[in-house]
Amino acid sequence: MSSVRDRNASAWLLPVDGTRDNHALRRDMRRFDDDTEVDIVVVGCGAGGGVLTQRLAHAGWQVVAMDAGPFWDPDRDWVSDEAGSHGLYWTEPRVIGGSDPVPLGANNSGRGVGGSMIHFAGYAPRLHPSDFRMRSDDGVGADWPLTYADLRPYYQQMESELPVAGQSWPWGEPHRYPHSPHPVGADGEVFLRGCQRLGIPARVGPVAITNGRFGNRPHCIYRGFCLQGCKVNAKGSTLITHIPDALAHGAEIRADSMVSRVTLDERGQASGVVYLKDGVERRQRARMVALACYSIETPRLLLNSVCGRFPDGLCNNYNQVGRYVMVQGAAQTAGRFDDEIRMYKAPPPGVSSEAFYETDPSKDYQRGFSIQTVSPLPVTWAEHVAAEGHWGEALREHMRDYIHWVCLGVLCDFLPLPGNRVTLADETDRHGLPVAHFSYSQCDNDRLLMAAGQRAMEEVLEAAGAAHTVTIKRYAHLVGGCRMATDERDGVVDRDLRTFAVPNLFITDGSVLPTQGSANPALTIMALAARAAERLGAKARR
Amino acid sequence: MTAHQPPTPPREAITPGGRGRFPGYDVLEQSPTWDDVTAATVLARLRVTGPPRFFTASEEAVARPLLDRLLAQDEEPRIPVFEMVDARLADNQTDGWRHEDLPDDRQAWRRSLAVLDTFAVQERGELFGPLRRDAQLELLEAVRTGDRWQGLPAARIWDLWLRYACTAFYAHPWSWNEIGFGGPAYPRGYKNLGVNRREPWEVADADGSDPLRSP
Repeated sequence: MSSVRDRNASAWLLPVDGTRDNHALRRDMRRFDDDTEVDIVVVGCGAGGGVLTQRLAHAGWQVVAMDAGPFWDPDRDWVSDEAGSHGLYWTEPRVIGGSDPVPLGANNSGRGVGGSMIHFAGYAPRLHPSDFRMRSDDGVGADWPLTYADLRPYYQQMESELPVAGQSWPWGEPHRYPHSPHPVGADGEVFLRGCQRLGIPARVGPVAITNGRFGNRPHCIYRGFCLQGCKVNAKGSTLITHIPDALAHGAEIRADSMVSRVTLDERGQASGVVYLKDGVERRQRARMVALACYSIETPRLLLNSVCGRFPDGLCNNYNQVGRYVMVQGAAQTAGRFDDEIRMYKAPPPGVSSEAFYETDPSKDYQRGFSIQTVSPLPVTWAEHVAAEGHWGEALREHMRDYIHWVCLGVLCDFLPLPGNRVTLADETDRHGLPVAHFSYSQCDNDRLLMAAGQRAMEEVLEAAGAAHTVTIKRYAHLVGGCRMATDERDGVVDRDLRTFAVPNLFITDGSVLPTQGSANPALTIMALAARAAERLGAKARR
Repeated sequence: MTAHQPPTPPREAITPGGRGRFPGYDVLEQSPTWDDVTAATVLARLRVTGPPRFFTASEEAVARPLLDRLLAQDEEPRIPVFEMVDARLADNQTDGWRHEDLPDDRQAWRRSLAVLDTFAVQERGELFGPLRRDAQLELLEAVRTGDRWQGLPAARIWDLWLRYACTAFYAHPWSWNEIGFGGPAYPRGYKNLGVNRREPWEVADADGSDPLRSP
């Protein structure tokens, strides 16, 4: 443990008195003037921005990290309640289109320090080595300018800092987790039973939830509200896993600050950002800028940062900004059991299988999917019932049956397509900034994958004894939009996440992923940011 | 953490319309174990009242029966879904995004309610509100199964209505009594995980019949 604490003492900086936020650390936070040219301003404090901020502050950099949302206090701001958690989501206006439009807001975008990790389920799987060479091996998608081996040490670092709990992992590159697997709820029990009867391997984990004490963070209490913000400090998010150490090393977290554009100096170097705080437009000077606003807002910010040299948006000189945005096909299939399941008990993230992850040459589609327990709470479960066409009396009757259902979800490796893109809409938000338009359409391979994923879930649930199954078609996660490439004609950033167009501008969020695999993206985003920080630190050491 | 003392909570195992499968189960009896912030949020839903701040009187005359039909709230006690949706729209607590062929949620609500009245007059010669319950149900089924509806994308309007209706209804503790949901669980958590395992305060399903199984 000592090496984790030396690298990142966040878990030891949290309070031990039953409260969840170190108020002294925030009160005594270093504050920089707008006119001070800090070493770097990081825009967005989620998975990527939070890790980058901690790593650079720890290395002695002067860091200001901005976030458009609040600096959350889990005790004061979060509730153990679905509808009461609306404030965790990015709910500023956005327009969606394409043949398969992707609803935003509640499901896939966060707000405030910790970002989407505040409401992510907590699954923290790695990508597989094959994800980095899809184009070469499978003839679809893209190759990364990085290999799995390049990312491996950072995966290991993040798994120990979150920390991740789970059984030994047999898929991709086999590996172990620092915390042992959690006990499973009834949903996980049923999933394991179905898989066992079919001979499909399944494992408990991997979840970024403490199983035992970690620093000053307590054990999970199995209350089932992982998606509403963890009031226990058991589920990891950068709010508790990286920001405390960043503060202790002199970083400033400037919350409630909406960055409206990146500024360039006369040499074409980034010189800082313009931002809105308390209704006033301000400007922070910086020697470097890193954007970590995720797949919709990072492209939007670049497209809104027009200047003479970049009339179509910053870094968009090769028409790449906003392209190849991906979502995972995330159908959820539920099965009905005579037993009482009560899937609201225990963390929704419980058990996974990556047995279908890799391309199977006997199938008529490329790539694959993973299956996980998802266990929706009542408001979300009502969407499943409504998707069956039920309303009125039938909806009420099916909802009364809630405690008898087990719900699984797939994550399908939907392909990156150039037309799935963020552009600017004609309308503006309350700050007068053009809002994002996100167009999304599936390809044939995507549809085949989603159907195969649904069939696999139905078979598992039926093998476990389900009398019937129902399925809702939906999406999860966002990645891509400013992808990493070997060449500026194919992407926006290089393998170290430096933009091709502006040498002191970086993008350290999920938008840099060239492909997404069938893994929840948080761990990969964190690992990429940790790697980028190390490369930056190494280069700055002259 | 000080235990929350709710102001004279009704300890009556209330369910909407008196429907339910968990006799005597009252999630509100657990409210002293909830953290203060959560308790304040949830218990406030027991006190939601009008007058409306978002919907106009003519919109209310459509929205109230619409929401009652969507959720089969035909009898008292009713969850105040109309008031909850009104408050949500008045406070602009929307999800932010909109389809490119629809206005934002607030405008989409106004337009769709006006169109529902127009539709009712066209099909039944009367506004939606005063129609008999079965006539209202028939009109709504036509919207649900329609493609374009009075110039609006029917499926997206249906989704909008049902999403707001269900989010309000299933956020209310009376609906948790109806479906046997455990409600907020911090700082208490759960001890008895697994198939057919209950906490001491959870109530068994007294019916257990499968709504999908043919009689």
